Amino acid sequence: MNLIENVKMALASIWANKMRSFLTMLGIIIGISSVIAVVSLGQGGQNTITGEFEKIGANSVIINVDSNNAESSDYITFEDVNQLKEKIEYIRYATPVIQISGWASTGTKTKAALVFGGSADLYQIENSDLLYGRYFNEIEYEEGKAVAVIDSSTAKRLFRMEDVTGMTLDVGPKTAQKSVTIVGVVKSEYDMFADMASDDYIPAVVYMPATTVSYIFSLEEVTSRVIVMADSKENVESAGNLAKILLENRHGNRGRDVYKAENMMKQLDQINTVLGIFTTFVAAVAAISLVVGGVGVMNIMLVSVTERTREIGIRKAIGARTGHIMIQFLTESVIISCIGGILGLIFGVAGAYGLGRIAGISPHVSPGTVIIAILFSSAVGIFFGIYPARKAANLDPIEALRYE
Amino acid sequence: MIRIENVTKVYKTGTIRLTALNDISLHIGPGEFVAVMGPSGCGKSTLLNILGCLDRMSSGHYILNGQDVSTLGGNELARIRNKEIGFIFQSFNLLPRMTVLENVELPMVYAGVSARERRERALEALSKVDLSERIRHRPTEISGGQKQRVAIARAIVNNPSIILADEPTGNLDTKATEEIMKIIQKLNNEGATILMVTHEPDVARFSKRIIRMRDGCIIDDRPVQSRTIL
Ligand SMILES: Nc1ncnc2c1ncn2[C@@H]1O[C@H](COP(=O)(O)OP(=O)(O)O)[C@@H](O)[C@H]1O
Ligand SMILES: [Mg+2]
Repeated sequence: MNLIENVKMALASIWANKMRSFLTMLGIIIGISSVIAVVSLGQGGQNTITGEFEKIGANSVIINVDSNNAESSDYITFEDVNQLKEKIEYIRYATPVIQISGWASTGTKTKAALVFGGSADLYQIENSDLLYGRYFNEIEYEEGKAVAVIDSSTAKRLFRMEDVTGMTLDVGPKTAQKSVTIVGVVKSEYDMFADMASDDYIPAVVYMPATTVSYIFSLEEVTSRVIVMADSKENVESAGNLAKILLENRHGNRGRDVYKAENMMKQLDQINTVLGIFTTFVAAVAAISLVVGGVGVMNIMLVSVTERTREIGIRKAIGARTGHIMIQFLTESVIISCIGGILGLIFGVAGAYGLGRIAGISPHVSPGTVIIAILFSSAVGIFFGIYPARKAANLDPIEALRYE
Repeated sequence: MIRIENVTKVYKTGTIRLTALNDISLHIGPGEFVAVMGPSGCGKSTLLNILGCLDRMSSGHYILNGQDVSTLGGNELARIRNKEIGFIFQSFNLLPRMTVLENVELPMVYAGVSARERRERALEALSKVDLSERIRHRPTEISGGQKQRVAIARAIVNNPSIILADEPTGNLDTKATEEIMKIIQKLNNEGATILMVTHEPDVARFSKRIIRMRDGCIIDDRPVQSRTIL
């Protein structure tokens, strides 16, 4: 009695009860597919975030002013930012980051706007994709020129066209907007929202020199956030520390620990850890449904053993040993679980891509996930199949034969 | 070849003890054709099941081909049922989902015979019972007489020492009964040892020796006088 014969026999009996077998598999299918979908999306999400981070720069350090113990004199001036770039060898780019809500209008259309202010280095630090025109330059930043760069989806929504370089836009607080000239269009970072129906609620995204933003919104020329970019990965740590020291020297506030330097990579690690825990947790919940599926397999195998008591008696009468019967039923439960596992894998991958499309994540199906899914479903089949198979194998032949 | 000594079988159901076989001794030699007769409930099937290693005796000894099988474990008994015993049941007991051919092959599957040899030997056994058509049909698609012929083919396919038949014609009409008895007689003529339970005197007359039982005891054991030969 070899494996192939066992498998053939098991397939025949599974096929004889098609509907029932399928319903039994359903539990496994749901379990495996949800685990696969969750894990693939989780890993895909991690990859996406890692990619994003690497794009904006693994070499970047964010320096924040700790608002809890900062005095107004501690805030970073635009001149501080220039000094960071000039004085610290390791720092290649530096920009203040100002973010403020305002309004943007084209004369015919007014929308809420998210306004970002930075130096010309914002272009490199954000690693923007320039589609049309150019980014604002150093001189425009120094002089606070009325220029702006908007993103592609803002261009589409405000102007109903793509290349809007040279157009003017009124930007500012609701009651005091000022005209700025659009010099460039960058690729939208929020493209996944762009197609949504209620795009009225999506704010316009405007990038301008920080000096211009301060002028338009009547703010002081200071910032609570600076992003610097080191010349290499190795120097990121030192760049952050040196920047802190320089700022503390210029503001004379050493010892109060006002400036917090955050390495982007460290932040990425934290995010990935959290995401990993979350993925594991959701996968564990999904795995519980797999256990429920396994119980379903056990249940149906017990029914099957009872139904086929006479068959077992006949097989024993003509010479089947305990092991033969055991393997026969175990093969059946493993095959049910494995087919369930394979279908679950297919549905899980399909589901991951389907959901990923909606959520804007490209899922990552690793070979490890696939192998674990298949092994795990077989394990479920064995684990939940053993009890029914033993029950079948240990039936007394004469009683089994007498069973009606 | 088959010898049982002082075999007793007691069924205990709750507080009730029922002695189905009471101190039975019996010897059956090679080439014999024995019919076991007696009223319903006298212990015929119990005796046959013990001889077939399907059931265990309460006390006594059973020597099959010189080996004491009373002490063997479940898997060793299974091996003996597979190699030494051929069963024929009143209700055929074919597996409904398998074809005729597969049913006949099954004992050889458990004996570990290669697929190719199985096919050859199954076809040979089927030709011995005059069944060469409809062998790829399922048991539900053939007549009672044909089913019993499949069961006989299955019983002889591993060349057992003895064929045990429990009322093999109990579910068959006269014509099919004759067909089956003809095949069994032919097998006996070719050397097979046969023990057959029946309560029909007409059927018993096909055998060479008749054992009569009552209340778990053998009350009569004699050769057949006017044997019917087909
Ligand atoms: N599993 C069992 N449990 C209890 N009593 C049984 C069992 N099998 C058979 N018997 C009893 O043993 C006696 C002999 O049964 P059996 O050998 O089947 O008789 P026969 O085949 O001669 O009709 C009967 O009285 C029957 O009721
Ligand atoms: Mg009986």
